[in-house]
Amino acid sequence: MTMPTWVQPVATQMLHGLGATAEVAAVSIAASVVLGLALGMLATLGDKMLRLVIGAYIELWRGLPVIVTLFFIFFALPAIELTLPPIVAAEMAIVLWGSANLAVLVRGAIESIPRGQFEAAAAIGFSWPKRMVHIILPQALRRLLPPALGIVVILIQLTTISSLIGVHDFLGVARLSIERLTLTTGDTHAVPILGTVLIVYFAISNTLNALSRWLERRLQVQ
Amino acid sequence: MGEAGYVFMPQVIWLHLPQLAQGLLRTLGASALGIVAAALIGLVFGAARAYRVPVASQVAAAYVALFRGTPILVQIFFLYDALPELGIRLDVAEVAVLALALWGGSYNTENFRAAFGAVPGGALQAAAALGMPAHLRFAWIALPIAFRLVLPALGNTSISVLKDSAYLSVIAFAELTYVATNIVATEFRVFEMFAVLAVTYLGMVLLLSWGLSRITAHLAARGTVGDA
Repeated sequence: MTMPTWVQPVATQMLHGLGATAEVAAVSIAASVVLGLALGMLATLGDKMLRLVIGAYIELWRGLPVIVTLFFIFFALPAIELTLPPIVAAEMAIVLWGSANLAVLVRGAIESIPRGQFEAAAAIGFSWPKRMVHIILPQALRRLLPPALGIVVILIQLTTISSLIGVHDFLGVARLSIERLTLTTGDTHAVPILGTVLIVYFAISNTLNALSRWLERRLQVQ
Repeated sequence: MGEAGYVFMPQVIWLHLPQLAQGLLRTLGASALGIVAAALIGLVFGAARAYRVPVASQVAAAYVALFRGTPILVQIFFLYDALPELGIRLDVAEVAVLALALWGGSYNTENFRAAFGAVPGGALQAAAALGMPAHLRFAWIALPIAFRLVLPALGNTSISVLKDSAYLSVIAFAELTYVATNIVATEFRVFEMFAVLAVTYLGMVLLLSWGLSRITAHLAARGTVGDA
């Protein structure tokens, strides 16, 4: 069976698009994890004001549709004479959502650790950072990891919003290819091209979801 | 928000209120239909999964893997751009409701599966011992208990469906986000329009979650929710 002639150039471009998607995903996941861990830990410090501010951050960025956050960053910053490359605007929107959701998980996981653990660690002279790193986080991680992986899957899916502001990610390139083929050949080929996009995301998401379920069984807290 | 000479002009909002209200109505309409359809899909497929109904259970599993495993944005574009190639022509409003229903339905299938799975076996065995036929056991024992158990998760998914309706702006379905960003594009009133979007979406989300917690508390007061 021979491939139609349009397939090869489109495939090459989509491979490049997948590279851009990987970049957006890597940056978004890394920044969301760092920020989510920091906010989640700070929220458990017991400082009322801090808890309130972090709570507001969480409600705001979880409550807004990510696409609204994205358009706001993309349109509003230029209005106050601040321009960002589209790829950075997309990453910012994804990270605001991701860090807020991870902060909820981190806060919940830390608060699920019995208070006695904090007190015992403090009693034997552990400082707050040492208590966190050596005593609390290793235990919290068992509860945290499976649902956090679920958030990571959604973050990877969210990278597609970058195509809406002109980033040539996997979906962006796919849609451009469909447009170009329609103009040049009169056929759209949307089924095979968007179908490919679906299959790739399907494979990534379900692999990670399976990993999440496996971890959940492995790390089950008695 | 007066940085760099930007002047916030609330009158812009009043000026465009009729359009924005129309957009909000479309958001509410599509979301309401999507939420109801997603709940029905979840109920049917969730029960099929929980009770391992042959064929239906496998179909439901594949459906969940497909719609939870792919970005909703790609799903929307596929329904809108690719379905006509397969000879299925839907107008933009039909695609809008279908996209929300299918996406929400996949999450609700998992929600209902977990809820049916958590119905105490003793209740069902007692009913069976009394000679109650299977379909009545499902309707009178499993369903009412599962419904109470599923409420929090069902509510969260419904709220997500409402928020995801903003994605429908990408296929020019004239809901709230589409209307507001169009005004931004033509008149450069960025902060006014995003103030409207933020207040409206956050208001709807908070209202829904408040209502939901009231219902859950009400049912909990009458027993069985949460700790079965």
